[in-house]
Amino acid sequence: MKIDDSSTTEPVLVMQRIFDAPREDVWDALTDPRQVARWYGGLGFENPVCEMDVRPGGTWRHVMRTPDGSEHALQFVFVEVVKPERLVWRNADRGATLGGAHDNLMTVTLEAAGRKTRWKLVVRFASMADREAALRIGFTAVLTEGTEKLNMLVRTV
Amino acid sequence: MRTDQLSATLAALADPTRRAILAGLATSDATVKELAEPFDMSLAGVSKHLKVLEGAGLISRGRESQWRPCHLEPAPLRDASEWLEGYRLFWDRSLDQLAEHLKTMKRRKRR
Repeated sequence: MKIDDSSTTEPVLVMQRIFDAPREDVWDALTDPRQVARWYGGLGFENPVCEMDVRPGGTWRHVMRTPDGSEHALQFVFVEVVKPERLVWRNADRGATLGGAHDNLMTVTLEAAGRKTRWKLVVRFASMADREAALRIGFTAVLTEGTEKLNMLVRTV
Repeated sequence: MRTDQLSATLAALADPTRRAILAGLATSDATVKELAEPFDMSLAGVSKHLKVLEGAGLISRGRESQWRPCHLEPAPLRDASEWLEGYRLFWDRSLDQLAEHLKTMKRRKRR
């Protein structure tokens, strides 16, 4: 698990990749619903519904089918759309369909690196129950930030 | 996992002092005084943090002795950790598949 170095207090999960494709292609794969349906969720997952209105305030309606056949309706709202470098979206229902409490803000930034593209996804976790605390959750840090003992314990319990 | 429990866990973990306290309790139970030692903080300050941790169910306090030693309750932490791990795995799988998808698109373009 990677923690954003620039922030030790915010609830961030950071996932970075380098894709062997030009930035415009990665942008299309991220914002063209027909393409998103092919990769969202990963191998074995299907996405029978994927409708995206890619503009600030536009919605992303999605149904994901897990390998065991159960379907999950998801709804997101685009917050920021800067083609082809930055896409920000959040749960439209403040995470209610995921069992609540998960008011997440997802930010993808794409950086051209020659013919490749550097992908960075930052997920900020917020809590419905306590908005103020949510903005200051250092929760992921617990798992990595020099608290190995605790980490070990969490793993073994 | 119950929503309110997850929220409570997240909120309690928001503070670096509280995370350090939990790390300290991972090896053994401790009194407020023992927990306060590594910090430049009054006992009252540490007690405040302990109340938050206790309220969130992350620690329990002994009832018998005067010093009421603190005890780590690992279950909510484990749940939060599992939840986060699930989230990370979701994106890991998705990005693997996105890489595959981009490869396919590239091959198609060449043709």
